Amino acid sequence: MCSSRLLALGLWLIAASASAAPAWEALGKPLAANEIASWDIDVRPDGVGLPPGHGSVEEGQVVYDTHCASCHGTFGESTDYLALAGGVGSLGTATPQRTVGSKLDYATTLWDYINRAMPFNRSKALSVNEVYAVTAYVLNLNDILPADAVLDERSLPQVEMPNRKGFTQAHGMMRADGKPDVRNTACMKDCLKTPPQVSSALPAGFTHQLYGELGPHFRQFMVAAPAAAAPTPAALAASNGCLACHAAQQTRVGPAFADVARRYAAVADAPAQLRQKVRAGGSGVWGSALMPPQTTVTDAALDQILGWILAGAAAP
Amino acid sequence: MSDPMRIRAAVKGEKVEVKILMSHVMETGQRKDAEGAVVPAHYITKVTASCNGRDVLSADWGPSVSKNPYLSFRFKGGAKGDKLKVTWTDTAGDSRSDEVSIG
Ligand code: HEC
Ligand code: HEC
Repeated sequence: MCSSRLLALGLWLIAASASAAPAWEALGKPLAANEIASWDIDVRPDGVGLPPGHGSVEEGQVVYDTHCASCHGTFGESTDYLALAGGVGSLGTATPQRTVGSKLDYATTLWDYINRAMPFNRSKALSVNEVYAVTAYVLNLNDILPADAVLDERSLPQVEMPNRKGFTQAHGMMRADGKPDVRNTACMKDCLKTPPQVSSALPAGFTHQLYGELGPHFRQFMVAAPAAAAPTPAALAASNGCLACHAAQQTRVGPAFADVARRYAAVADAPAQLRQKVRAGGSGVWGSALMPPQTTVTDAALDQILGWILAGAAAP
Repeated sequence: MSDPMRIRAAVKGEKVEVKILMSHVMETGQRKDAEGAVVPAHYITKVTASCNGRDVLSADWGPSVSKNPYLSFRFKGGAKGDKLKVTWTDTAGDSRSDEVSIG
Protein backbone atom coordinates (compact mmCIF):
# COMPACT_ATOMS: atom_id res chain seq x y z
CA MET A 1 0.00 0.00 0.00
CA CYS A 2 2.98 2.32 -0.05
CA SER A 3 3.57 2.32 -3.76
CA SER A 4 2.37 5.84 -4.44
CA ARG A 5 5.75 7.34 -3.67
CA LEU A 6 7.57 4.85 -5.91
CA LEU A 7 5.18 5.58 -8.70
CA ALA A 8 5.68 9.30 -8.31
CA LEU A 9 9.43 8.76 -8.53
CA GLY A 10 8.97 6.70 -11.70
CA LEU A 11 6.99 9.49 -13.30
CA TRP A 12 9.61 12.00 -12.40
CA LEU A 13 12.29 9.93 -14.11
CA ILE A 14 10.18 9.62 -17.22
CA ALA A 15 9.60 13.33 -17.28
CA ALA A 16 13.30 14.04 -16.84
CA SER A 17 14.29 11.71 -19.67
CA ALA A 18 11.69 13.21 -21.96
CA SER A 19 12.92 16.76 -21.59
CA ALA A 20 16.62 16.80 -22.56
CA ALA A 21 19.06 14.00 -21.82
CA PRO A 22 20.92 12.97 -25.00
CA ALA A 23 22.58 9.94 -23.40
CA TRP A 24 19.16 8.35 -22.91
CA GLU A 25 17.83 9.16 -26.34
CA ALA A 26 17.72 5.57 -27.50
CA LEU A 27 15.67 4.53 -24.51
CA GLY A 28 11.88 4.67 -24.51
CA LYS A 29 9.83 7.42 -26.02
CA PRO A 30 8.24 10.63 -24.78
CA LEU A 31 4.89 9.88 -23.17
CA ALA A 32 1.69 11.61 -24.19
CA ALA A 33 -0.29 13.29 -21.42
CA ASN A 34 -3.01 10.63 -21.60
CA GLU A 35 -0.41 7.87 -21.27
CA ILE A 36 0.98 9.46 -18.13
CA ALA A 37 -2.55 9.94 -16.82
CA SER A 38 -3.29 6.24 -17.23
CA TRP A 39 -0.37 5.41 -14.92
CA ASP A 40 -0.96 8.23 -12.50
CA ILE A 41 -3.64 6.52 -10.41
CA ASP A 42 -2.34 7.00 -6.89
CA VAL A 43 -4.74 8.34 -4.30
CA ARG A 44 -3.26 10.22 -1.36
CA PRO A 45 -4.50 10.13 2.22
CA ASP A 46 -6.21 13.52 1.85
CA GLY A 47 -8.06 12.30 -1.25
CA VAL A 48 -5.93 14.03 -3.89
CA GLY A 49 -6.09 11.77 -6.94
CA LEU A 50 -9.58 10.37 -6.30
CA PRO A 51 -11.59 10.39 -9.54
CA PRO A 52 -15.15 11.73 -9.38
CA GLY A 53 -17.71 9.02 -8.70
CA HIS A 54 -19.98 7.62 -6.03
CA GLY A 55 -21.34 4.40 -4.61
CA SER A 56 -23.55 3.31 -1.72
CA VAL A 57 -23.19 0.57 0.88
CA GLU A 58 -26.23 -1.08 -0.69
CA GLU A 59 -24.70 -1.14 -4.19
CA GLY A 60 -21.43 -2.25 -2.63
CA GLN A 61 -23.04 -5.35 -1.17
CA VAL A 62 -23.91 -6.53 -4.70
CA VAL A 63 -20.38 -5.83 -5.99
CA TYR A 64 -18.93 -7.54 -2.93
CA ASP A 65 -21.09 -10.67 -3.18
CA THR A 66 -20.21 -11.00 -6.87
CA HIS A 67 -16.49 -10.20 -6.86
CA CYS A 68 -15.11 -10.49 -3.33
CA ALA A 69 -17.10 -12.82 -1.06
CA SER A 70 -15.72 -16.01 -2.64
CA CYS A 71 -12.29 -15.18 -1.23
CA HIS A 72 -12.90 -12.81 1.69
CA GLY A 73 -16.09 -14.40 3.09
CA THR A 74 -19.69 -13.16 3.14
CA PHE A 75 -19.01 -10.84 6.07
CA GLY A 76 -15.32 -10.24 5.34
CA GLU A 77 -14.50 -12.84 7.99
CA SER A 78 -12.52 -15.28 5.79
CA THR A 79 -9.38 -16.74 7.24
CA ASP A 80 -8.48 -18.60 4.00
CA TYR A 81 -7.41 -15.46 2.19
CA LEU A 82 -7.61 -12.37 4.38
CA ALA A 83 -10.27 -11.08 6.72
CA LEU A 84 -11.42 -7.60 5.68
CA ALA A 85 -13.56 -6.90 8.73
CA GLY A 86 -13.30 -7.19 12.48
CA GLY A 87 -10.67 -6.45 15.07
CA VAL A 88 -11.50 -2.76 15.37
CA GLY A 89 -10.03 -1.66 18.70
CA SER A 90 -8.03 -4.89 19.15
CA LEU A 91 -4.60 -3.62 18.06
CA GLY A 92 -3.32 -2.76 21.51
CA THR A 93 -4.67 -5.93 23.14
CA ALA A 94 -3.15 -9.38 23.67
CA THR A 95 -5.02 -10.71 20.62
CA PRO A 96 -4.68 -8.05 17.94
CA GLN A 97 -6.56 -8.69 14.72
CA ARG A 98 -5.26 -6.70 11.77
CA THR A 99 -7.79 -5.93 9.09
CA VAL A 100 -8.26 -2.92 6.85
CA GLY A 101 -10.92 -1.83 9.36
CA SER A 102 -8.69 -2.04 12.41
CA LYS A 103 -5.33 -1.01 10.97
CA LEU A 104 -5.73 1.60 8.23
CA ASP A 105 -5.33 5.26 9.15
CA TYR A 106 -7.08 6.62 6.04
CA ALA A 107 -10.11 5.26 4.18
CA THR A 108 -8.66 6.63 0.94
CA THR A 109 -5.93 3.96 1.16
CA LEU A 110 -8.60 1.27 1.11
CA TRP A 111 -10.07 2.78 -2.06
CA ASP A 112 -6.63 3.00 -3.68
CA TYR A 113 -5.77 -0.60 -2.82
CA ILE A 114 -9.04 -2.06 -4.10
CA ASN A 115 -8.77 0.09 -7.23
CA ARG A 116 -5.25 -1.16 -7.96
CA ALA A 117 -5.29 -4.72 -6.83
CA MET A 118 -8.72 -6.28 -6.34
CA PRO A 119 -10.35 -8.58 -7.24
CA PHE A 120 -7.08 -10.49 -6.86
CA ASN A 121 -7.58 -12.56 -10.00
CA ARG A 122 -8.93 -9.68 -12.11
CA SER A 123 -7.45 -6.43 -10.87
CA LYS A 124 -8.75 -3.24 -12.52
CA ALA A 125 -11.97 -4.97 -13.57
CA LEU A 126 -14.19 -2.71 -11.40
CA SER A 127 -15.55 0.66 -12.51
CA VAL A 128 -14.81 3.78 -10.46
CA ASN A 129 -18.34 3.77 -9.03
CA GLU A 130 -18.07 0.09 -8.12
CA VAL A 131 -14.85 0.81 -6.21
CA TYR A 132 -16.62 3.58 -4.25
CA ALA A 133 -19.53 1.24 -3.54
CA VAL A 134 -17.46 -1.75 -2.41
CA THR A 135 -15.23 0.51 -0.30
CA ALA A 136 -18.38 1.80 1.42
CA TYR A 137 -19.54 -1.78 1.97
CA VAL A 138 -16.21 -2.94 3.46
CA LEU A 139 -16.34 0.07 5.82
CA ASN A 140 -19.91 -0.89 6.74
CA LEU A 141 -18.82 -4.47 7.48
CA ASN A 142 -16.39 -2.88 9.94
CA ASP A 143 -19.19 -0.76 11.51
CA ILE A 144 -17.35 2.38 10.39
CA LEU A 145 -20.17 3.51 8.04
CA PRO A 146 -23.94 3.10 8.53
CA ALA A 147 -25.96 0.94 6.14
CA ASP A 148 -27.39 3.95 4.29
CA ALA A 149 -24.03 5.65 3.63
CA VAL A 150 -22.97 6.85 0.17
CA LEU A 151 -19.35 7.69 -0.66
CA ASP A 152 -17.96 10.03 -3.28
CA GLU A 153 -14.66 11.81 -3.87
CA ARG A 154 -15.55 14.46 -1.27
CA SER A 155 -17.00 12.30 1.51
CA LEU A 156 -14.47 9.42 1.36
CA PRO A 157 -11.54 11.53 2.68
CA GLN A 158 -13.80 12.69 5.56
CA VAL A 159 -14.26 9.15 6.89
CA GLU A 160 -12.50 8.90 10.24
CA MET A 161 -10.74 5.53 10.57
CA PRO A 162 -10.55 4.01 14.09
CA ASN A 163 -6.75 3.73 13.85
CA ARG A 164 -6.31 7.26 12.49
CA LYS A 165 -3.68 8.15 15.11
CA GLY A 166 -2.23 4.68 15.69
CA PHE A 167 0.63 4.71 13.18
CA THR A 168 4.17 5.10 14.52
CA GLN A 169 7.58 4.95 12.85
CA ALA A 170 9.47 4.21 16.03
CA HIS A 171 9.38 0.42 15.63
CA GLY A 172 10.54 -1.93 12.89
CA MET A 173 8.12 -3.26 10.34
CA MET A 174 7.39 -6.97 10.42
CA ARG A 175 10.23 -8.80 12.12
CA ALA A 176 13.04 -6.30 11.65
CA ASP A 177 14.33 -6.96 15.18
CA GLY A 178 12.35 -4.05 16.49
CA LYS A 179 14.55 -1.60 14.64
CA PRO A 180 12.85 1.10 12.64
CA ASP A 181 13.33 0.57 8.91
CA VAL A 182 13.78 4.08 7.69
CA ARG A 183 15.73 6.35 9.95
CA ASN A 184 18.44 7.52 7.58
CA THR A 185 18.82 10.97 6.16
CA ALA A 186 18.71 10.83 2.40
CA CYS A 187 22.09 10.56 0.69
CA MET A 188 22.07 11.97 -2.81
CA LYS A 189 25.70 11.59 -3.97
CA ASP A 190 28.42 8.88 -3.85
CA CYS A 191 26.31 6.94 -1.45
CA LEU A 192 27.43 3.35 -2.03
CA LYS A 193 30.54 2.71 0.05
CA THR A 194 30.16 -1.07 -0.31
CA PRO A 195 27.93 -2.84 -2.83
CA PRO A 196 24.55 -3.69 -1.34
CA GLN A 197 23.84 -7.31 -0.42
CA VAL A 198 20.26 -8.04 -1.35
CA SER A 199 18.84 -11.19 0.18
CA SER A 200 15.44 -12.69 0.88
CA ALA A 201 14.19 -14.65 3.86
CA LEU A 202 12.38 -16.96 1.42
CA PRO A 203 14.18 -19.99 -0.03
CA ALA A 204 15.86 -19.37 -3.39
CA GLY A 205 13.47 -19.61 -6.32
CA PHE A 206 10.39 -19.59 -4.06
CA THR A 207 8.40 -16.98 -5.96
CA HIS A 208 9.20 -18.57 -9.28
CA GLN A 209 8.16 -22.00 -8.06
CA LEU A 210 4.87 -20.71 -6.76
CA TYR A 211 3.89 -18.41 -9.59
CA GLY A 212 6.08 -19.29 -12.59
CA GLU A 213 6.78 -16.44 -14.95
CA LEU A 214 5.70 -13.25 -13.24
CA GLY A 215 4.99 -11.46 -16.52
CA PRO A 216 1.51 -12.92 -17.09
CA HIS A 217 0.43 -11.78 -13.62
CA PHE A 218 0.64 -8.18 -14.66
CA ARG A 219 -1.64 -6.97 -17.37
CA GLN A 220 -0.09 -5.13 -20.23
CA PHE A 221 -0.78 -1.46 -19.76
CA MET A 222 -1.86 -0.09 -23.08
CA VAL A 223 -3.50 3.19 -23.87
CA ALA A 224 -4.39 2.50 -27.47
CA ALA A 225 -4.17 -1.21 -28.22
CA PRO A 226 -3.07 -1.84 -31.79
CA ALA A 227 -5.60 -3.75 -33.88
CA ALA A 228 -4.45 -7.28 -33.09
CA ALA A 229 -5.02 -10.69 -34.59
CA ALA A 230 -7.54 -12.87 -32.71
CA PRO A 231 -5.90 -13.84 -29.40
CA THR A 232 -4.66 -17.40 -28.95
CA PRO A 233 -6.31 -19.55 -26.26
CA ALA A 234 -3.13 -19.18 -24.20
CA ALA A 235 -3.46 -15.39 -24.43
CA LEU A 236 -7.13 -15.67 -23.42
CA ALA A 237 -6.12 -17.74 -20.39
CA ALA A 238 -3.68 -14.96 -19.48
CA SER A 239 -6.07 -12.06 -20.04
CA ASN A 240 -8.85 -13.80 -18.11
CA GLY A 241 -6.63 -14.24 -15.08
CA CYS A 242 -6.39 -18.08 -15.23
CA LEU A 243 -2.58 -17.93 -15.27
CA ALA A 244 -2.59 -16.22 -11.88
CA CYS A 245 -3.16 -19.71 -10.47
CA HIS A 246 -2.46 -22.13 -13.33
CA ALA A 247 0.45 -22.89 -15.63
CA ALA A 248 0.55 -25.17 -18.66
CA GLN A 249 3.06 -27.66 -17.28
CA GLN A 250 3.59 -26.92 -13.58
CA THR A 251 1.30 -27.25 -10.60
CA ARG A 252 0.76 -23.88 -8.97
CA VAL A 253 -2.19 -22.88 -6.79
CA GLY A 254 -4.28 -24.89 -9.23
CA PRO A 255 -3.37 -28.00 -11.26
CA ALA A 256 -1.13 -27.85 -14.35
CA PHE A 257 -3.31 -27.69 -17.45
CA ALA A 258 -1.36 -30.63 -18.92
CA ASP A 259 -2.38 -32.71 -15.88
CA VAL A 260 -6.01 -31.67 -16.35
CA ALA A 261 -5.77 -32.87 -19.99
CA ARG A 262 -4.37 -36.23 -18.86
CA ARG A 263 -7.02 -36.72 -16.21
CA TYR A 264 -9.93 -35.99 -18.53
CA ALA A 265 -8.53 -37.66 -21.67
CA ALA A 266 -11.13 -40.44 -21.49
CA VAL A 267 -14.04 -38.37 -20.17
CA ALA A 268 -16.54 -37.78 -22.98
CA ASP A 269 -18.32 -34.73 -21.57
CA ALA A 270 -15.17 -33.17 -20.11
CA PRO A 271 -15.71 -29.76 -21.81
CA ALA A 272 -19.22 -29.39 -20.35
CA GLN A 273 -18.17 -30.71 -16.95
CA LEU A 274 -15.17 -28.40 -16.72
CA ARG A 275 -17.08 -25.40 -18.05
CA GLN A 276 -19.50 -25.79 -15.17
CA LYS A 277 -16.72 -26.29 -12.63
CA VAL A 278 -14.77 -23.22 -13.74
CA ARG A 279 -17.94 -21.09 -13.70
CA ALA A 280 -18.96 -22.30 -10.25
CA GLY A 281 -15.47 -22.64 -8.77
CA GLY A 282 -14.74 -25.22 -6.08
CA SER A 283 -12.14 -27.44 -4.51
CA GLY A 284 -11.49 -31.06 -3.65
CA VAL A 285 -10.69 -32.58 -7.03
CA TRP A 286 -7.02 -31.62 -6.97
CA GLY A 287 -6.54 -30.67 -3.37
CA SER A 288 -7.91 -28.34 -0.77
CA ALA A 289 -7.10 -25.09 -2.63
CA LEU A 290 -10.17 -23.27 -3.84
CA MET A 291 -10.81 -21.99 -7.36
CA PRO A 292 -13.07 -18.94 -7.00
CA PRO A 293 -16.03 -18.80 -9.40
CA GLN A 294 -14.78 -17.48 -12.77
CA THR A 295 -17.71 -15.26 -13.60
CA THR A 296 -16.21 -12.70 -15.94
CA VAL A 297 -14.68 -14.84 -18.71
CA THR A 298 -17.06 -14.97 -21.72
CA ASP A 299 -18.58 -18.28 -22.84
CA ALA A 300 -16.74 -18.11 -26.15
CA ALA A 301 -13.37 -17.45 -24.50
CA LEU A 302 -13.92 -20.15 -21.90
CA ASP A 303 -14.73 -22.74 -24.57
CA GLN A 304 -11.57 -21.83 -26.45
CA ILE A 305 -9.46 -21.98 -23.29
CA LEU A 306 -10.93 -25.36 -22.27
CA GLY A 307 -10.38 -26.77 -25.77
CA TRP A 308 -6.77 -25.72 -25.53
CA ILE A 309 -6.38 -27.15 -22.01
CA LEU A 310 -7.93 -30.50 -22.94
CA ALA A 311 -5.65 -30.71 -25.98
CA GLY A 312 -2.65 -30.56 -23.63
CA ALA A 313 -2.13 -26.80 -23.29
CA ALA A 314 0.69 -26.63 -25.82
CA ALA A 315 2.65 -23.40 -26.12
CA PRO A 316 1.30 -21.25 -28.96
CA MET B 1 -24.42 -5.32 25.78
CA SER B 2 -23.17 -7.44 22.91
CA ASP B 3 -22.85 -6.33 19.29
CA PRO B 4 -25.54 -7.38 16.81
CA MET B 5 -25.07 -10.49 14.72
CA ARG B 6 -24.72 -10.12 10.98
CA ILE B 7 -27.24 -12.44 9.34
CA ARG B 8 -27.91 -13.21 5.68
CA ALA B 9 -30.75 -15.51 4.73
CA ALA B 10 -31.68 -16.07 1.11
CA VAL B 11 -33.77 -18.62 -0.80
CA LYS B 12 -31.46 -20.85 -2.85
CA GLY B 13 -33.52 -23.36 -4.85
CA GLU B 14 -35.60 -25.49 -2.47
CA LYS B 15 -33.75 -24.35 0.61
CA VAL B 16 -32.95 -21.22 2.53
CA GLU B 17 -29.24 -20.57 2.96
CA VAL B 18 -28.36 -18.83 6.21
CA LYS B 19 -25.03 -17.24 7.08
CA ILE B 20 -24.40 -15.77 10.51
CA LEU B 21 -21.46 -13.91 12.02
CA MET B 22 -21.66 -13.55 15.79
CA SER B 23 -19.63 -11.13 17.81
CA HIS B 24 -18.36 -12.92 20.93
CA VAL B 25 -15.03 -13.32 22.78
CA MET B 26 -15.46 -17.11 23.12
CA GLU B 27 -12.93 -17.32 25.96
CA THR B 28 -12.16 -20.98 26.63
CA GLY B 29 -11.13 -20.58 30.27
CA GLN B 30 -7.72 -22.06 29.38
CA ARG B 31 -5.94 -18.92 28.29
CA LYS B 32 -3.70 -16.90 30.58
CA ASP B 33 -3.26 -13.14 30.34
CA ALA B 34 0.07 -11.25 30.41
CA GLU B 35 0.19 -11.50 34.24
CA GLY B 36 -0.33 -15.27 34.11
CA ALA B 37 -3.86 -15.12 35.50
CA VAL B 38 -6.40 -17.43 33.90
CA VAL B 39 -8.89 -15.54 31.74
CA PRO B 40 -12.30 -16.78 32.90
CA ALA B 41 -14.35 -18.91 30.52
CA HIS B 42 -16.97 -16.98 28.59
CA TYR B 43 -18.42 -18.71 25.58
CA ILE B 44 -21.69 -19.38 23.77
CA THR B 45 -23.37 -22.58 24.89
CA LYS B 46 -26.58 -22.56 22.88
CA VAL B 47 -27.57 -21.30 19.43
CA THR B 48 -31.11 -21.53 18.08
CA ALA B 49 -32.70 -20.32 14.87
CA SER B 50 -36.40 -20.13 14.09
CA CYS B 51 -38.32 -19.29 10.94
CA ASN B 52 -41.64 -17.53 11.65
CA GLY B 53 -41.51 -19.04 15.14
CA ARG B 54 -40.74 -22.63 13.98
CA ASP B 55 -37.40 -23.97 15.22
CA VAL B 56 -35.06 -24.82 12.34
CA LEU B 57 -31.76 -25.17 14.21
CA SER B 58 -30.68 -25.86 17.75
CA ALA B 59 -27.03 -26.33 18.62
CA ASP B 60 -25.07 -26.92 21.83
CA TRP B 61 -21.69 -25.26 21.66
CA GLY B 62 -18.54 -25.57 23.75
CA PRO B 63 -15.28 -23.73 24.30
CA SER B 64 -13.63 -25.04 21.12
CA VAL B 65 -15.59 -22.70 18.85
CA SER B 66 -13.50 -19.75 17.66
CA LYS B 67 -13.86 -16.11 18.62
CA ASN B 68 -16.53 -14.25 16.59
CA PRO B 69 -18.07 -17.50 15.32
CA TYR B 70 -19.26 -17.89 11.73
CA LEU B 71 -22.14 -20.32 11.19
CA SER B 72 -23.75 -21.34 7.92
CA PHE B 73 -26.61 -23.82 7.38
CA ARG B 74 -29.52 -24.55 5.03
CA PHE B 75 -33.07 -25.56 5.85
CA LYS B 76 -36.19 -26.50 3.91
CA GLY B 77 -39.58 -24.88 4.22
CA GLY B 78 -38.69 -21.18 4.38
CA ALA B 79 -39.93 -18.56 1.94
CA LYS B 80 -39.01 -15.03 0.90
CA GLY B 81 -40.25 -12.54 3.46
CA ASP B 82 -40.33 -15.03 6.36
CA LYS B 83 -38.71 -13.85 9.57
CA LEU B 84 -35.58 -15.68 10.60
CA LYS B 85 -34.62 -15.18 14.24
CA VAL B 86 -31.29 -16.30 15.70
CA THR B 87 -30.54 -16.44 19.42
CA TRP B 88 -27.45 -17.32 21.40
CA THR B 89 -26.93 -17.80 25.13
CA ASP B 90 -23.53 -17.84 26.82
CA THR B 91 -21.88 -19.07 30.02
CA ALA B 92 -22.41 -15.68 31.68
CA GLY B 93 -26.15 -16.04 31.14
CA ASP B 94 -26.10 -13.29 28.51
CA SER B 95 -28.26 -13.78 25.50
CA ARG B 96 -28.80 -11.99 22.23
CA SER B 97 -31.41 -12.32 19.48
CA ASP B 98 -31.40 -10.79 16.02
CA GLU B 99 -33.91 -11.10 13.24
CA VAL B 100 -33.86 -10.65 9.45
CA SER B 101 -36.34 -11.13 6.62
CA ILE B 102 -35.46 -13.94 4.25
CA GLY B 103 -34.45 -12.43 0.90
C1 HEC C 1 -9.21 -14.70 -5.80
C2 HEC C 1 -9.33 -14.32 -4.42
C3 HEC C 1 -9.66 -12.84 -4.11
C4 HEC C 1 -10.72 -12.10 -4.59
C5 HEC C 1 -11.82 -12.53 -5.54
C6 HEC C 1 -10.61 -10.81 -3.94
N1 HEC C 1 -9.51 -10.78 -3.12
FE1 HEC C 1 -8.93 -9.21 -1.97
N2 HEC C 1 -7.26 -10.24 -1.43
C7 HEC C 1 -6.92 -11.52 -1.85
C8 HEC C 1 -5.58 -11.83 -1.42
C9 HEC C 1 -4.84 -13.12 -1.69
C10 HEC C 1 -5.11 -10.68 -0.73
C11 HEC C 1 -3.73 -10.45 -0.13
C12 HEC C 1 -2.90 -9.86 -1.24
C13 HEC C 1 -1.49 -9.51 -0.84
O1 HEC C 1 -1.20 -9.42 0.36
O2 HEC C 1 -0.68 -9.28 -1.77
C14 HEC C 1 -6.19 -9.72 -0.73
C15 HEC C 1 -6.14 -8.48 -0.11
C16 HEC C 1 -7.18 -7.58 -0.06
C17 HEC C 1 -7.19 -6.35 0.71
C18 HEC C 1 -6.08 -5.88 1.62
C19 HEC C 1 -6.28 -6.49 2.98
C20 HEC C 1 -5.27 -6.06 4.00
O3 HEC C 1 -5.47 -6.42 5.18
O4 HEC C 1 -4.30 -5.38 3.66
C21 HEC C 1 -8.39 -5.72 0.47
C22 HEC C 1 -8.88 -4.41 1.07
C23 HEC C 1 -9.13 -6.56 -0.45
N3 HEC C 1 -8.37 -7.68 -0.75
C24 HEC C 1 -10.38 -6.26 -0.94
C25 HEC C 1 -11.02 -7.01 -1.92
C26 HEC C 1 -12.23 -6.57 -2.60
C27 HEC C 1 -13.00 -5.31 -2.26
C28 HEC C 1 -12.53 -7.54 -3.51
C29 HEC C 1 -13.68 -7.55 -4.50
C30 HEC C 1 -13.75 -6.40 -5.40
C31 HEC C 1 -11.50 -8.58 -3.40
N4 HEC C 1 -10.62 -8.22 -2.45
C32 HEC C 1 -11.50 -9.76 -4.15
C33 HEC C 1 -7.74 -12.38 -2.55
C34 HEC C 1 -8.90 -12.00 -3.21
C1 HEC D 1 -7.47 -18.07 -7.70
C2 HEC D 1 -6.89 -19.22 -8.33
C3 HEC D 1 -7.52 -19.76 -9.64
C4 HEC D 1 -7.90 -19.06 -10.77
C5 HEC D 1 -7.85 -17.55 -10.99
C6 HEC D 1 -8.34 -20.04 -11.73
N1 HEC D 1 -8.24 -21.29 -11.18
FE1 HEC D 1 -8.73 -23.05 -12.14
N2 HEC D 1 -8.31 -24.07 -10.42
C7 HEC D 1 -7.80 -23.53 -9.25
C8 HEC D 1 -7.73 -24.56 -8.26
C9 HEC D 1 -7.23 -24.38 -6.82
C10 HEC D 1 -8.20 -25.75 -8.87
C11 HEC D 1 -8.36 -27.13 -8.23
C12 HEC D 1 -9.80 -27.30 -7.80
C13 HEC D 1 -10.12 -28.66 -7.27
O1 HEC D 1 -9.23 -29.31 -6.71
O2 HEC D 1 -11.31 -29.05 -7.38
C14 HEC D 1 -8.54 -25.41 -10.23
C15 HEC D 1 -9.02 -26.33 -11.19
C16 HEC D 1 -9.24 -26.06 -12.52
C17 HEC D 1 -9.61 -27.02 -13.53
C18 HEC D 1 -9.82 -28.52 -13.29
C19 HEC D 1 -11.18 -28.69 -12.66
C20 HEC D 1 -11.46 -30.09 -12.20
O3 HEC D 1 -12.51 -30.25 -11.53
O4 HEC D 1 -10.69 -31.01 -12.50
C21 HEC D 1 -9.73 -26.34 -14.74
C22 HEC D 1 -10.11 -26.92 -16.09
C23 HEC D 1 -9.46 -24.94 -14.45
N3 HEC D 1 -9.14 -24.81 -13.11
C24 HEC D 1 -9.49 -23.94 -15.39
C25 HEC D 1 -9.40 -22.57 -15.07
C26 HEC D 1 -9.66 -21.53 -16.03
C27 HEC D 1 -10.05 -21.74 -17.49
C28 HEC D 1 -9.48 -20.34 -15.37
C29 HEC D 1 -9.66 -18.92 -15.89
C30 HEC D 1 -10.94 -18.59 -16.49
C31 HEC D 1 -9.11 -20.67 -13.99
N4 HEC D 1 -9.08 -22.03 -13.87
C32 HEC D 1 -8.81 -19.73 -13.01
C33 HEC D 1 -7.46 -22.20 -9.03
C34 HEC D 1 -7.73 -21.17 -9.92
